[in-house]
Amino acid sequence: MNIIIQKKGGFNALLTIAWRNIWRNRRRTSLCIVAVGIAVFFIIFMQSWIEGMMIGIEDVVRTYETGDVSAVSARYEADREYYPVQFPLAEGRDAGEIIDEIEKLPGVRAALSRTTVYASLFDSTVKHAIVWGIDIEKETRLNNFNLTERSDGIIEGRYPHKDANECAIGFSMAKKAGFKVGDSIALKMVSAQFSDKYWNPVVTGIFEFDYQKYDEDSIIVPAERLQRILGLGGAAQQIVVFADDHRDAGRIRNQMAEMLGKDTVVREWSENYWVAMMRSMSGMYLIIFLVFQVVASFLIINTMLMVIHERIKEIGMMGALGMTRFEIVTVFFLEAFLLATLGAAAGAIVGAASAWAGSQFPIDMTVMTGGGMKDFPISGTLYLSFSIPLILKGFLFGVAVSALCTLVPSMKSAFIEPVEALRR
Amino acid sequence: MKFLNTKQSVTFAALLVSISLFAQGTEPAAKSILERVDDNEIYKSITYDGEMTIEYQGKRFVKKFTAAGRENKDSFVEFTNSEDRGTKYLKKEGRLYVYSPDTEQVMLISGHMLKESMMGSDMSYEDTIENDKLSVRYIPVIAKSEALNGREAWVLDLSAVKKTESYPKQRLWVAKDNYDVLRNEQFALSGAKLKEYTLIRSEKIGGRSFPVETEVKDMLRKGSRTVFVMSNVVLDAPVADSVFSMRNLEK
Repeated sequence: MNIIIQKKGGFNALLTIAWRNIWRNRRRTSLCIVAVGIAVFFIIFMQSWIEGMMIGIEDVVRTYETGDVSAVSARYEADREYYPVQFPLAEGRDAGEIIDEIEKLPGVRAALSRTTVYASLFDSTVKHAIVWGIDIEKETRLNNFNLTERSDGIIEGRYPHKDANECAIGFSMAKKAGFKVGDSIALKMVSAQFSDKYWNPVVTGIFEFDYQKYDEDSIIVPAERLQRILGLGGAAQQIVVFADDHRDAGRIRNQMAEMLGKDTVVREWSENYWVAMMRSMSGMYLIIFLVFQVVASFLIINTMLMVIHERIKEIGMMGALGMTRFEIVTVFFLEAFLLATLGAAAGAIVGAASAWAGSQFPIDMTVMTGGGMKDFPISGTLYLSFSIPLILKGFLFGVAVSALCTLVPSMKSAFIEPVEALRR
Repeated sequence: MKFLNTKQSVTFAALLVSISLFAQGTEPAAKSILERVDDNEIYKSITYDGEMTIEYQGKRFVKKFTAAGRENKDSFVEFTNSEDRGTKYLKKEGRLYVYSPDTEQVMLISGHMLKESMMGSDMSYEDTIENDKLSVRYIPVIAKSEALNGREAWVLDLSAVKKTESYPKQRLWVAKDNYDVLRNEQFALSGAKLKEYTLIRSEKIGGRSFPVETEVKDMLRKGSRTVFVMSNVVLDAPVADSVFSMRNLEK
């Protein structure tokens, strides 16, 4: 059979016939291309969106929640949502000692002690806040707190000095409560000994992290001062570790778990609930995209069925002139394949352009969701992810699914008897 | 058909009246029960040493303090345990102030802060400074009688007179023998139970039965309880004005 194909011009001849055939009805061809194109565009755009969101979530989780690896006590982990300070890490061992030990591990860029606690504010507009005690100097050296502008996030004033009676607040909180630089914020926290601790830090700076939860609810204070007020002594509530390479997080986690012993929960950033959830949903997205592509391919399937019906005499003639069943099927399959390829290419070009635009001009999610992103660990500004492999994957996915869908209607042409076909 | 003649009617009416009077004599009205509760618990002045044992999240903390109070106007609390030594609260002219040794400042606790837990306990600031008569603030109804911990008690359902009450509804188990409040359940308007007080021990002080040891549970805090113990209680003795002064708070 192959010898015959080669003799008659082979695959190229069949491809030429298929190419000419698809332009016999330009309107129908255009519609097929548009349908597949829209599907492929949608897939690429959505993939860029989802990947952009995943990168955003991973950034937020690593920057604010876990670093690359985080360690807390098992009791703290059980009541994490309340940010309890009664359960320090490693039975109250000195945080400085633990940090020194961790920083000696290979691949560790830095380890930091962080303390988070709920506070009741004396202010009647903003009644509650999250007080975040961090080593401000070290943190701002390691992290870009403003995820969009890749800056320390301060928009007015400065961060508090080490151990000072000072704080920095989010711009949303400042706006809501009318706090200005130089004002003091009266607040109450519950200490490690379950005592009411009152504090009146002076606002030295206002920050904008483009992360709604922090911009609205957080008060940043020097770690050592907060630890002292809360009666933690030198103990740490949480230690976060930043690695030279994120991919090293698993090994560092294992070494830290061994070092800190039992009653300690050591987790790498990818074990975070939101990160794990987003990753686990990738299979579901694939199914959604598959359904979408199959639906779009129905137009090609329908076209092929109509074409075979319309050209039934032509098929008979092709058979009578000596074309084998395989060659006839190949011609029809190539027609469908060309339609799918042209559509997928068009979709990929438009999808790539949109993804690139989205990666340069971010989308303001806070405005889009009406401020509903507060409980979602993601920056208020979403950058779409633009990458060549993602575009290629979208294109190939579109071609493969559409071509596979048209295989069955193309085969229909193989079962037409030339004599019967010519008689119609 | 006439059911009773005149003489019989008069006799029957007299009988009804006497039964009703007899019943009133044995089962006092809800209002008078609540007034007797107030007679036990509401004081003109008080001084005592207090101890709160807080059990929450598997930990146990003990807080000690001295306290003084005068009617429903003034109160003063100073914590004496090592972690909280020097923390003082003053209620004066309807305002609650706190002095914290950490900040060496006096701060005014108002509005939503009054409903916050005091010193991590199951009681709020409002709970600890309230000394107003229940019989004035609530309308009681006797729901039933039942035994609680082996003591016969009236169960009173209380509805707040004012809408601004922290607990719009309460249910009290009042001991029939001495009007001790054996249990007090406090509810939100929705019917959700917010707090539960259980009497552990009362003492006879100056002719009244005064609760000196109670267990308090904040139902919104899972697995939490606070045991509140009062000792060296002195009731209705004069307390110097200087105790309830800003100077004493800042001292």
